[in-house]
Amino acid sequence: MRIQCVINGQPVERDIDADMRLLDFIRETLHLTGTKEGCGEGECGACTVLMNGKAVHSCLVLAMQAANANIITVEGLSDGHALHPIQQAYVETGAVQCGFCTPGFIMATYALLQDTPDPSEEEILAGLEGNLCRCTGYAKILDAVKLAAERLRASE
Amino acid sequence: MRYQRVVNEKELLESLAEPGATILCGGTDVMIKMRAGMMQPSALIDVSQLDSMQGIRLDESTLIIGAATTESDIHKSPLVREHVPLLSTVLAKLGSVQIRNRGSLGGNLVNASPAADGAIPLLLFDTEIELVSAKGIRWIKLEDFFTGPGRTVLAHGEFVRSLRLAIPNAGYGSFYHKVGRRNALTIAIASLGMLLWIEEHVIREIRMAVGSVAPTARRLRAIENQLTGRLLNDATLDAARQLITDAISPISDVRASASYRKNVIGDLLVRALGASLH
Ligand SMILES: Cc1cc2nc3c(=O)[nH]c(=O)nc-3n(C[C@H](O)[C@H](O)[C@H](O)COP(=O)(O)OP(=O)(O)OC[C@H]3O[C@@H](n4cnc5c(N)ncnc54)[C@H](O)[C@@H]3O)c2cc1C
Ligand code: FES
Ligand code: FES
Repeated sequence: MRIQCVINGQPVERDIDADMRLLDFIRETLHLTGTKEGCGEGECGACTVLMNGKAVHSCLVLAMQAANANIITVEGLSDGHALHPIQQAYVETGAVQCGFCTPGFIMATYALLQDTPDPSEEEILAGLEGNLCRCTGYAKILDAVKLAAERLRASE
Repeated sequence: MRYQRVVNEKELLESLAEPGATILCGGTDVMIKMRAGMMQPSALIDVSQLDSMQGIRLDESTLIIGAATTESDIHKSPLVREHVPLLSTVLAKLGSVQIRNRGSLGGNLVNASPAADGAIPLLLFDTEIELVSAKGIRWIKLEDFFTGPGRTVLAHGEFVRSLRLAIPNAGYGSFYHKVGRRNALTIAIASLGMLLWIEEHVIREIRMAVGSVAPTARRLRAIENQLTGRLLNDATLDAARQLITDAISPISDVRASASYRKNVIGDLLVRALGASLH
């Protein structure tokens, strides 16, 4: 089937199978491998991308459901020179260990801060409840989100 | 497999006539079932962007919610928060942000899990659902909709267009609690919701619904009737615990044993009533 959509600001058009997941479309068809597959069942959040401004698990969305949609993956955050403030905050606070979960956390953080620029700790936890990390124990991820929120607010 | 995004209900009815065709909305149940081989549709008919299944509106003393409206939109809706706040509270605990951004109540109900979280508040608000087929429209009480785990009265070729919730009279207390092993993404081991009207320490009206302790999410009408008119005191709490453990028939599974579930549901009921007593 023919799919047209916008990924990271670029219009794309491809022929794909009807049963292809959005995750495979992003990784295999478009070779944007920042988005990860952990569980494939909506539990871990490693595959999180933004679809029309909302965080979704790309392992649970059919690629064809994203036809005409606007998709942002982790590759779409940085301008190619400097890291995005959210990425920078994750690096600085030591919230990245093996890094497998990081793109998903960063996209969930991006969605959270877009709706809630000054989140309480409770709101951060709720915003990240769809993402799992086996390495960091979450405290540093919380620090990263707070730091990113502060810097994004300051830059406005 | 074929994929089709329908743009109106006429197209939907035509597509659903195909024997192996299945509706796809947010896909948070369908994608999991297809992956597990539990579902092999010949066509997925996507209703997630169908206008007639979207939105939330007030209609006299009822609230009408489109079957494909996302759980995030329902959770945030000012109309829902004003008129049926318990629904918003319960949806905040369904899955995770990513799940709620895709999932719908139409999908939650038709999937008919005994643990479906959306069903509990909807049962308490005397919800009726609008079923549409080539033959026309029928309204079914949610209580009569589920027929077993994963089974409903929905016929082949039929779809859910909307849900109609009756806004209850003011002055009630509400309660919802689900017990599971982890907060987000928890499949409930047992859940209980309640609306309670108390006047001069007497139970004027009470509504209760439970999940995960019977083949379907359900109201407990018989117990509601037995508790109505009683003085809310410790003796009533004890009686209520006995009534509920006698009334339910939970199963043992990998998540919890039947007797554990009975204990948990008894505790939840006592907590819910006790919150108004103490
Ligand atoms: C990680 C994870 C966590 C979850 N956590 C919870 C939870 O905490 N509580 C909970 O209750 N559920 C949970 N779920 C289950 C699921 O998210 C919900 O049941 C959701 O509401 C389903 O909605 P959907 O739109 O995604 O349904 P879909 O998957 O699109 O559809 C589900 C079923 O409904 C049918 N259907 C959908 N819309 C209609 C319609 N309008 N008319 C007729 N048939 C229709 C489909 O054909 C299919 O059989 C979870 C799922 C996942 C993957
Ligand atoms: S890979 Fe999608 S949630 Fe784990
Ligand atoms: S850093 Fe390894 S899973 Fe999160």
